[in-house]
Amino acid sequence: MAGQPNILIRLERLRKEFNGVIAVEGLDLEVTEGEFLCFLGPSGCGKTTTLRMIAGLETPTAGDVYLRGRRITHLPPQQRNVGFVFQNYALFWHMTVYENLAFGLRVRKVDPAEIDRKVKEVAANLELTDVLHERARRLDLSTMQRVAMARTLVTDPEVLLLDEPLNNFRPGLREAMRGELKRWQMHLGRTMIYVTHDQEEAMTLGDRILVMNAGRCAQLDTPRHIYEHPANLFVASFIGRPPMNLIDVQYTVEGERAFLVRDSLRLEVTPLRDKIERALGGQTNLVLGIRPEHLSFGPFSEEGWVQFSLPAVVDLVQPLARKKFLDLKIGDTLIKMVVPGTASFRQGESFPLGFPLHRIHLFHRTTEEAIL
Amino acid sequence: MTEYAPSLVRPSVRNALSRLERKLSSERVFGIALIAPMQLLLWFLLIIPTLIVIYLSFVRWEPRMGVDWWDAPFAFLGNYTRVITDVRFWSALGRSAGIVVVAVTLEFLIGMALALFFSRSFPGKRIMTSAILYPMMLPWVVVGLCFYLLFLDRGPVNYVLTQILNRPINVEWFKHPPLAMTTIILADVWQWTPFLFLILYSGLGALPKEPVEAAMTLGASRWQIFRYITLPMLKPVILIALVIRSLEAFKIFDVVFIMTGGGPGTATETISVYIYRVGFVFGQLSYAAAMAVLILVLVTMITRMGVRPLEK
Amino acid sequence: MRKTNWSQALGSGIRWLIGLLICIVVMLPITWVLSISLKPPEEWVAYPPTLVPIEPTFSNYIVLFQPGNPVGGVSEMVSAAQPVTRAFVNSLIVVPIATAASVLIGFLASYATVRFQAGGATLPLFVLTTRMFPPVAFAVPLLVYFRMLNLIDTQLALILMYTGFTIAFSLWMMRGFIEGVPRHVEEAAILDGASPWRVLLTITLPLVRGGLAATGLFVFILNWTEFLLAQVFTSREAITIPVQVSHYVGAVGRFYGPMAALGIVASIPVVVAGYIIQRYLVTGFTFGLVRE
Repeated sequence: MAGQPNILIRLERLRKEFNGVIAVEGLDLEVTEGEFLCFLGPSGCGKTTTLRMIAGLETPTAGDVYLRGRRITHLPPQQRNVGFVFQNYALFWHMTVYENLAFGLRVRKVDPAEIDRKVKEVAANLELTDVLHERARRLDLSTMQRVAMARTLVTDPEVLLLDEPLNNFRPGLREAMRGELKRWQMHLGRTMIYVTHDQEEAMTLGDRILVMNAGRCAQLDTPRHIYEHPANLFVASFIGRPPMNLIDVQYTVEGERAFLVRDSLRLEVTPLRDKIERALGGQTNLVLGIRPEHLSFGPFSEEGWVQFSLPAVVDLVQPLARKKFLDLKIGDTLIKMVVPGTASFRQGESFPLGFPLHRIHLFHRTTEEAIL
Repeated sequence: MTEYAPSLVRPSVRNALSRLERKLSSERVFGIALIAPMQLLLWFLLIIPTLIVIYLSFVRWEPRMGVDWWDAPFAFLGNYTRVITDVRFWSALGRSAGIVVVAVTLEFLIGMALALFFSRSFPGKRIMTSAILYPMMLPWVVVGLCFYLLFLDRGPVNYVLTQILNRPINVEWFKHPPLAMTTIILADVWQWTPFLFLILYSGLGALPKEPVEAAMTLGASRWQIFRYITLPMLKPVILIALVIRSLEAFKIFDVVFIMTGGGPGTATETISVYIYRVGFVFGQLSYAAAMAVLILVLVTMITRMGVRPLEK
Repeated sequence: MRKTNWSQALGSGIRWLIGLLICIVVMLPITWVLSISLKPPEEWVAYPPTLVPIEPTFSNYIVLFQPGNPVGGVSEMVSAAQPVTRAFVNSLIVVPIATAASVLIGFLASYATVRFQAGGATLPLFVLTTRMFPPVAFAVPLLVYFRMLNLIDTQLALILMYTGFTIAFSLWMMRGFIEGVPRHVEEAAILDGASPWRVLLTITLPLVRGGLAATGLFVFILNWTEFLLAQVFTSREAITIPVQVSHYVGAVGRFYGPMAALGIVASIPVVVAGYIIQRYLVTGFTFGLVRE
């Protein structure tokens, strides 16, 4: 039965402390063989530290790392057979490209003829054949990156670990390299763990994303689920550009009808009343989340759409190529919206504003967990 | 700037003068003013003396001859041929070279070992690092004095040796040529290994960590990392350290002077000591000058060769 | 291979021990000198030698400054050498002045070569080559010079020579610090109408204070310990401490106590100076050759 996925790497209650500062806490993770997994989060969230613990470059303070069921927590990197691509590539700049690629095999005392064969094979795969005899320090950025990748591939590692490898690329080139990476990974079928702080990147590359915040797992899921069902406020605000609108509201009930209220702003949510009350358990302080791309100008006649009680006033128009970002004010609340580039708006204009109710996100104000 | 009476100065000259005026902008004047004192010193104390030395090497002059130096009789290449056939000169040169080779090699090996040892952290490291640096700071004469005291016949070294070898050792270190040499080399090694240590340690610390980590993930053992990654990346630093230290070791004077005075006989007479003796003890300044010039040329050539790999 | 916190602590502990042993070995020679300096004459060449004096005394130190003083029976021999005071006074005058001069001139020249390439682009390298030659070579013609100028055995001669010979260090050491001062800070001042002198003195100078201190201390050590030139050019009047030490070893012959005491006293200023700048040494000594 081909369907059963292999668990390649398992992290169990991983914890890392540096001088009293907790970098990673209570992390559990299972990595499937062949998947492209992204570690996503702001700087300092512990994603690189976790990656390094998988590689053996850091030792966990507590918890365990398993590779194919074998406990490797304290094993030095030399014995783990993982490939690591560093943010600044860490090429051996005093060696040629060939020597860089051959290094992993050379230290394992592989036969030179065999080394030659493998190096040339990998070089061909990544279009490095022409630069094989150049000194590493003379290369340009994108070539360096390919050399860094090739170097890890030569030794046939179990998994490839990449630490923000595209950070040094300017935006245009970065997107192009993203595509290349994804294509290689699918073509080679390797398991890859990719660390980035760029949420767009993680969303486009990853089969699954581990979103981390302050050393903890915020959510582990496919990109689609993370987008549609963020588990908490952090993930909700981190994913999406422009980020989700988040408004503090109170949940109130008037007879049969349920409302989310903030000062003079009201939004009726009666159809969801049961769901909300079950999840709330008496709490009334919530955070309302709605993505800028899901907002629409009314009036609304169809089922399932809700509308804010106050009109939205255009505050600022930011035109881009194919869309526009609008800063709107409803009462005192600032909301961002995305509209097609062809529409035109002027500051001061006001419209009724609403969205499909099923697009709503609600979070506990204090626990920051999602209710809906 | 002054006005030139039009009738006195031709237009072309006037143009040239105003161009000159513009050139002497305040920046350049300022710059020249700033380096003036240094230039003065350099010329007065270093360049002109060098010229005098060269001049002296071509004449025959000894102060006790009672003749002023500019009246001294010409000897053309006489001094130089004398130097080249002077056995004592070549032995002294050989001794200096020998000291350089032995001492610097030891200093490098020990210094490197220390640098590697200190590159891992452990309690008290900071204090210890500064503690082992201080032999370099001691006045050379004190180092000489120190080792002189250590190697006296009834001194601690003989005592310790007696205890270790379980035989009465009463070596007179300063009376036997090879032993005297040994004491000098030991003194130099003791004093200057910290220098090598310092440079190598700084160099190691400045190396980027990531290539080492990359090598680890590729399966290299500690020794392999050191040999294929660390050492090659350190090459420029090592080279400069060796060049600097070798140049200084070659000039060794103070320690020898204090400890053995060049003796017994000429057994520890390094080139600096020999030149000193010829010039200031025997008073044959011309001859000393010729030797000095020869050494100058030699050192320059060798330094050039040693530095060439760095210019890449 | 399982590395527990335990074995890590053990590893650190072993390193600490080895480090301690290394320090002890390094310290041993000078400790011996210290030991002799505190011993009374009977113990100087006592056999078996002891590290700790049986009857410690300061008489050796006293005798340095007051040779006639019959302290602990050490007095007689030192009549051969003169009181050390003169050497101290000379060193304490010559060295600081020469150091200050060297640093000052070096700073000015360094600024000019860094900012304006004054004197040509190769001037700094040329200056560096002056350090390559054995001072012995320069001693010969300088002797001729100073004899003509009647400056033999004077403090002035020493000051001039010391300044001249350390200028290369000052120039090169200040270079890095001056390059560390961003140009736009100076340019802003110039735009405000400041003259180049004012910029140099009020803007750049304060910013390189640390560099001046480090260079000054380094040059101080060099000058304080300088022996050859002092030996050649001084005898009684302008004798400096290093020469005095060598006299003790020669003339005073077997009087190891005062010899050792002098050695210790001579070393104190430089060890202190060295201690202060070693922070700079450890971090900065790679000549910019290691690439990131």
